[in-house]
Amino acid sequence: MLMSIDSISKSYNAFPNPPAKVLHDVTLNVDTGEAIGLVGESGSGKSTIAKCMLALIKPEEGRITYDGIDVIHAKGDDLRRFRREVQMVFQDPYGSLNPRMTVEELIGEGLLIHKLEPTAAARRARVAEMMEMVGLNPNDMDRYTRSFSGGQRQRIAIARALVIRPRILVCDEPVAALDVSVQAQVINLLQDMQKKLNLAIVFVAHDLAVVRHLCEKIVVLHKGKVVEQGSRDEIFGAPKMPYTQSLLAAVPVPDPVVGRARRAARRLETAN
Amino acid sequence: MTAPAIAQPAARRKEGFSAFEMFVFALVVALLAIAVFGPFFAPDSIYSSDIANSLMPPSAANWFGTDDQGRDVFWRLIVGAQTTLLSAFLVVTLYSLIGVTIATVAAAGPRWLDEGLMRITDIGLALPGMIVALGFAAAMGASLRSAVIAMAITGWPITARMLRGIMRQTMEQPFVAGAQVLGVSKWRLMTKHVLPNSLDVLIVKWAGDIGTTVLVLASLSFIGVGAQPPSAEWGATIASARGYVSTAWWTVVAPGAAVAITSIAFGLLGDIIQVRRDPSLRGN
Amino acid sequence: MKTVHPLPDEASVVPVRQPLITVEKLTVDMPLGRSGSSVRIVDGVDFTIGVGERVALVGESGSGKSLTARALMRLDRLAKLSGRVDFDGTDLLKLSDRDMGKLRGSSIAMVFQDPMSFLDPLMTIGDQVAETLRIRGIGKAEARKRALAVLDELGVDRAAERLDAYPHEFSGGMRQRVVLAMALVGEPRLLIADEPTTALDVRVQDQVLDLLDDVSTRRGLAVLFITHDLGVVAGFAERVMVMYSGRIVEDGEVASVFAKPSHPYTQGLIKAVPRIDQDLNTLYAIPGAPPPPLARPSGCPFHPRCDQRFDRCGVDLPALQPVGMSRVACHLLDGKGA
Repeated sequence: MLMSIDSISKSYNAFPNPPAKVLHDVTLNVDTGEAIGLVGESGSGKSTIAKCMLALIKPEEGRITYDGIDVIHAKGDDLRRFRREVQMVFQDPYGSLNPRMTVEELIGEGLLIHKLEPTAAARRARVAEMMEMVGLNPNDMDRYTRSFSGGQRQRIAIARALVIRPRILVCDEPVAALDVSVQAQVINLLQDMQKKLNLAIVFVAHDLAVVRHLCEKIVVLHKGKVVEQGSRDEIFGAPKMPYTQSLLAAVPVPDPVVGRARRAARRLETAN
Repeated sequence: MTAPAIAQPAARRKEGFSAFEMFVFALVVALLAIAVFGPFFAPDSIYSSDIANSLMPPSAANWFGTDDQGRDVFWRLIVGAQTTLLSAFLVVTLYSLIGVTIATVAAAGPRWLDEGLMRITDIGLALPGMIVALGFAAAMGASLRSAVIAMAITGWPITARMLRGIMRQTMEQPFVAGAQVLGVSKWRLMTKHVLPNSLDVLIVKWAGDIGTTVLVLASLSFIGVGAQPPSAEWGATIASARGYVSTAWWTVVAPGAAVAITSIAFGLLGDIIQVRRDPSLRGN
Repeated sequence: MKTVHPLPDEASVVPVRQPLITVEKLTVDMPLGRSGSSVRIVDGVDFTIGVGERVALVGESGSGKSLTARALMRLDRLAKLSGRVDFDGTDLLKLSDRDMGKLRGSSIAMVFQDPMSFLDPLMTIGDQVAETLRIRGIGKAEARKRALAVLDELGVDRAAERLDAYPHEFSGGMRQRVVLAMALVGEPRLLIADEPTTALDVRVQDQVLDLLDDVSTRRGLAVLFITHDLGVVAGFAERVMVMYSGRIVEDGEVASVFAKPSHPYTQGLIKAVPRIDQDLNTLYAIPGAPPPPLARPSGCPFHPRCDQRFDRCGVDLPALQPVGMSRVACHLLDGKGA
């Protein structure tokens, strides 16, 4: 087990109202090299869990352990190792890259601050190699990101996260803001990287079809609680909880025959 | 619905400058050129008095006439431009540095430090800047240097308050969280990620502030706590000429107009940059 | 009426509908700042929507799908429109602003992606729904009665009690129903829905689609549904028009377009979407990204991304031609000409 999240709870202040509890007793594990999907509707707490896993916020209760490190209280060398080995990719391909940095600076920043390459030339070579790997042209290294499309920016974000060889990549809705024809490129890239680098991916998404495609383990969340978790086949083949069933039934299918049959069946069920 | 958003950035790039904007740019460039290069061409006579020629009206020889010491008003204005603008640049640069430092420490620091620094800033904001500067300058002994130092140490609160707010907003941006996840140090986070993405507004403010500072500096000199005669600084020039308003108006009007034109030109430059940066303000 | 609108059988004869709105050679130019130049976002679009027909307009960012729809209502003041938009015998592009204003809400109505931005937080739900009617001089009591009826029709629980509630007291799905009620209370014949479910969770999206399905069937209401979600298209629309870079590249019955897409872009799009009911090893990915309107490639705008392109594609712009029951803009249909 690479990372374990043990019954964490989190509230936000909502003064003058009592604090709003957004996570209730959430427990889940991430194993080496596996892709795990956190799915749920807005307000399910899936992004909050991602932030806790990245130590961007701290839960009030529970424990998060990464490879022997107590994440919530980590300091010094432990925290530095955690920061190197757990990385992320955000939803917004526009806001998630510093507009004042060149592609080389963005991708090379991790190498620089973790002192993974001794010289600027060696860093540059690693950046070029990484750009090649994610399907970018290394000749674009000195450009700023504003002239790049959303899909290319997401590739830059992925390269930036992966160049320091993390063991976990947390992705919060990484394709939600992309054009349909570009989403598949990024999904394939993530899948490819996961296999090549034996990377664990935590994939936070509202799009269940994408999660089914990418993740072998799925955690279903509703109002800050884990409703159900299991393998892809368990969740998509035979969901046990009514909430999961209703969620899956509502996903539209891009096939008129199947899609309409599904809707008709579901409406018949709700009518009864 | 996304289409207009696509058209915008392109629109900003393609647009030309209006005649008025070009005029303001030309004026600012001319003022800067005069301040930098003008004094090299000044005749030596402006530093010595020539009582025989005192208070001569404007003529071909003395475009703006002569003052009570018989010195050429035009060339004294040119020499004074350097003193005045250089001092104003110095004042704004110094207090911007103080303001940026305080804002950065407040935005990066723990809550108690942020609160403490902002309360001090509030006190600074509440005090009338010019009066405090006057007090400081008087205490240090009246001179241009005192006036510059006094204004530098009283001018920072607006910058600090504004910038700290902007930096807090910038810190909400996803790329800042991204840098934290990457494990960058607090120093690097602030200087490489937060500060460069918060400074834009300061550039606008900086241009406008030059204009106001020219005015305030001239006022301080005028009331005697800034530059002292025989300095060609504009405020000091007005002060020493004020006795001759009725008999030799040019000795006062020329430096007065110089102060007015300079502060208005830099003020307009600030406005233009602001409108250019924010298309929603256009059309006004 | 709890039925899903039947999918027209491919073999059966598609009913010939009376046209409600006919768009010919519609172009939309957006100005570039104050410079006087402009960029063509919609580049000559032709289509017809029949009475009671449900048509989906699919496209990515920069395709011009939203501006096409907004042009039908003349919503963008800065946009320069040309072509013809024939609605019930009148050319909407030639109407005075006043007459166009009367038409909005009564003959053609529109709903948008973000319901909250279209609701006035300080006005009660009842007043907002009734407002469309009040503007047209209908009395207060009558307007309120009809507002209530529409809210009821759209399944707002305890509608009578909630007429005097404010928008913040409603959930996201309920707000979208209120916005829909505002659009429908004037009894329009065409509803333009611009990504109305994109911001909603799947279960709420599903309810809103059901609602639209019922209302359109019951009222014989034509719907132009703008979306990028092929799943929504397949489940809801009868016909689909695919836009790419300012033009329609394919237009046909949903069943046949999904079963046998003709344009390489449509083919790629359908293969690129993961499905909840299938396992695939890798997704097909269309290379590259949609071109921005200022940098359209020569010839067919899709050719740099197309895996079936040949010489002609980079030179000639393919016209939208009838192919069986559909229309397609692709040189492949003429054969490679070799």
